Amino acid sequence: MLSHRLWTRLTPYLLIAPTLLLVLVFTLLPATRTLYDSLYQPARRAIEPSVFIGLQNYADLFDLTHYLGGRFLPILQNTVIFVFVSLVVAVPLALGFALLLNRQIRALGFWRFSLIYPMLLPLIGAASIWAFLYSDSIGLINTVIRSLGGQGQNWLGNPNLVLGSVIVVNIWKQAGYYSLFYLAGLQNISRDIYEAADLDGANAGQKLLWITVPLLRRTTLFIVVIAITFGFQTVEQLAALGLGNPADRSNLLLWFIFQNISERRNWGYVNAMTVILVSILLLFTVANFLIFERRGVEDERA
Amino acid sequence: MNGRRFTTALTVIFAALWLAPLFFSILMSFRPEAEPISIGNIFFGSQITLENYQTVLTIAPWGLHYLNSVIFVVGVLIVQLFTVTLAGYAFARMQFPGRDFLLLIVLLQIMIPAAVLLVPNFATIRDLDLFNTHWALMLPYWGSAFGVLLIRQTFRGIPYELEEAARIDGATLFQVLRHVYIPLSIPAYLSFALVSISSHWNEFLWPFIITRSDEVRPLTVALNQLYQTSETGAQYSQLMAGTILVIAPLVVLFALFQRRFIESFASSGLK
Repeated sequence: MLSHRLWTRLTPYLLIAPTLLLVLVFTLLPATRTLYDSLYQPARRAIEPSVFIGLQNYADLFDLTHYLGGRFLPILQNTVIFVFVSLVVAVPLALGFALLLNRQIRALGFWRFSLIYPMLLPLIGAASIWAFLYSDSIGLINTVIRSLGGQGQNWLGNPNLVLGSVIVVNIWKQAGYYSLFYLAGLQNISRDIYEAADLDGANAGQKLLWITVPLLRRTTLFIVVIAITFGFQTVEQLAALGLGNPADRSNLLLWFIFQNISERRNWGYVNAMTVILVSILLLFTVANFLIFERRGVEDERA
Repeated sequence: MNGRRFTTALTVIFAALWLAPLFFSILMSFRPEAEPISIGNIFFGSQITLENYQTVLTIAPWGLHYLNSVIFVVGVLIVQLFTVTLAGYAFARMQFPGRDFLLLIVLLQIMIPAAVLLVPNFATIRDLDLFNTHWALMLPYWGSAFGVLLIRQTFRGIPYELEEAARIDGATLFQVLRHVYIPLSIPAYLSFALVSISSHWNEFLWPFIITRSDEVRPLTVALNQLYQTSETGAQYSQLMAGTILVIAPLVVLFALFQRRFIESFASSGLK
């Protein structure tokens, strides 16, 4: 029998053990193993040993003449474009939504539902809706364009349009979600500040630019960071919007990793690409955490 | 007033643009399959029909996929409620060597989502001989760093005197949790449950790689299958019917409980 004191000492560890074990098995160990395996060339067959090759996998990925590197760099570029264009459009849009929804208006519930519901759709469902809207021959968008006398486009088949088409879906889905943080932030701005500005004769634009936007700076920073981390992990829409085609023009990093896991000879590269993706996520989430914690500290002081 | 009219117009325009995809996919799902939308006729076909839903329901065992999604979502949530309560309490109210370091390890889960580590986690599931089972779907989500953080923060806000009083009356740790902490934290649990349910209901990539048969596959994976088989494009009305079947539960819940959802998701930045 354990003594009572020892039991008391062990209690906290027993309480966190389930969570800790799951994090170890599905996050920490696999992450470490991925990092380790990314330094090896995979064996051709399971029984042979793999060979230590240092950073060669990474070097190959950044070599445009290499068979995978030639695809990896353009896909990394797509991913960065996808994340940043989504961000630059969706974040101001989210602020706009929050401002529109933060007023005393009739049927507020309806407007709120309309702008925010896309966040609750599974990406794969959102994507299949948009696949229908984008369809070349019978899609809604082309039908409308043609009825106005314009030229229909092959939104998902044209290499110059496809990434943009995928970005539009992402913006449509995420803007409402980000606006929730702005709505919460707007609650914290005191009405007195606006009244003081009214007395000074400020117009609506000036109040937005000189009061609202600066006071929401921290919220904006927070949204930017989650938009970046979510962006790098968002790939489901590709399953319905062309699988990264045509010619990888809409392919994104996580989807590319997924496409390569079935081929043993590519495992070294898969691991290296996962390490690169995880490093990007870590970088931005650590930033997120620092911002979040700092905000927490200031709340406690207030 | 001009400014007021301007903002109202903006609200209407954006609401219409944002609602249009849902609106037209619903219309499409009730249009006869033989009548694709065409110029001058984008709203209704010659009649409103349920035939698309009937066809879709025969293509795949949707009842089974619904059940799988419910098992997945509920199975994850129930275990999470236990793990986050226990860990949340330990991190909120107990002093022990290594506490901050261990919390940091748990937070790693927020930084590195399990689905990103596709290859090693797939291998782990195979080594455990769980491939293509409900367990494989749920297992990686049973621990939730977001939940631990949320519950820790909530428990910290509860006066310690309440626990002390219960302890003096001879209550054990589990009685204290059950009668003091949990009843006072219901709103936090509700927020956590909503975020957990929504995100797992919508999860795709992990279920997609870890399941192979209809007996296990959740709705999102079934919808993807429907999409891949209807690629020819003629069957968009069926695809939309399938999509509506998958998205309806959450969209309806959101319409009914907007405030609750909005408050919950506003606390979910660190999901």
